[in-house]
Amino acid sequence: MSKNDENQIHHRLKILSQIEPSSKATSRAIQRACEALINENKRRQGASTRIWQTVFKSPITKCAAAAILLIAVGYTVGRASAPQKLDLEELQVTLENSLKASLEPAIRQDLIVQLNEQWQSAFAAGCAKLKEELQQQVRRDLTEFAAQTLAASGTLTNQRLMELVQLIEAARRRERQQVAEALQQIEQEKIQLRNGLLVVAAQTNELMGTRQ
Amino acid sequence: MPDRQKELLELLDRSGANLYTLLTRLTLREDVAEELMQELFIKLINSRSFDKAGNPEAYARRAAINLAFDWRRNRKLNPLGLDQVCEPASNDGSPLDKLVQAEELDEILNAIGQLNKMSREAFVMRYIQQEPYDNIAEQLGKTAHHARALCSRALNRLRNILGHNQSQSFVKETNNVKK
Repeated sequence: MSKNDENQIHHRLKILSQIEPSSKATSRAIQRACEALINENKRRQGASTRIWQTVFKSPITKCAAAAILLIAVGYTVGRASAPQKLDLEELQVTLENSLKASLEPAIRQDLIVQLNEQWQSAFAAGCAKLKEELQQQVRRDLTEFAAQTLAASGTLTNQRLMELVQLIEAARRRERQQVAEALQQIEQEKIQLRNGLLVVAAQTNELMGTRQ
Repeated sequence: MPDRQKELLELLDRSGANLYTLLTRLTLREDVAEELMQELFIKLINSRSFDKAGNPEAYARRAAINLAFDWRRNRKLNPLGLDQVCEPASNDGSPLDKLVQAEELDEILNAIGQLNKMSREAFVMRYIQQEPYDNIAEQLGKTAHHARALCSRALNRLRNILGHNQSQSFVKETNNVKK
């Protein structure tokens, strides 16, 4: 490669190094990257959270677990220190009822809160996605419309040009015909003139003969 | 994970503008650079090796260069549809000049894309980002002498690629004329 081409490479590289995006585009890109980062982090956190971790986050659930533990300890101590044999079935039923009464509302409340959060985050993500899809759809439609309009205008232009060509052709044909007719008429008049001249010449000869 | 998010947000704050400029220069399109910027940071937050990287800026820049050249390669494989055609990023000039210039820049960027990763990174840092050799060497973990040699070899290779492309296009044109 010649020196000239090498200079050309350097010239192109220089142009590349001088390209600067607008500050508006830069700040928009940074903003979008920041949003993408936060959304991705949320998504990952949501996916990796274990149900137990979520359940035990709530203070209500912690209280409920502590209550279960206390009841279990009480039961064990009571059983160990009981003088006579206890009615196990009755105790089991009592324990079940007690556990149900203490745990059920707490878990229900916690689940409702959890579900609400999940619904809200899913709804927000869905909205953003829907908006983006809508934008893309509108852009696609506009592009398609532009292409169709271009094609239609091209077809129309072609049609008009064809009509114009046909009109010009017809006019030329008419003109040629008129010229041909005029030429034919001139030819006929020429023949008549020749005949007339012959007659005049014959008469002149005759007249001169008579005079002599 | 929040630590990494914080770290990446700081990185975005420090080097976001530089990374975006680099992506714009390598793709010649602001809209594509914007998309790639998002993709880059999503990749970084999911990357396991990002934590191990000694220099997060260098790691992010390397990832950005790879992303931009991957995009160029994919674009060559899948030609643009009408809806994807956009004005190329350029500073000035008439539309014809812009078009010619964009083609020339495309050609040289495609040629850079054919270099190997290390040479490509060094070359981009030197000739497109205009960084000094010492800085390049520091970021690549090499000596300044090594960085200089890498850039020189990359430039030679680029000359060969462009020369080969030109001779190929000349043969094509000659064949077209003969036909």
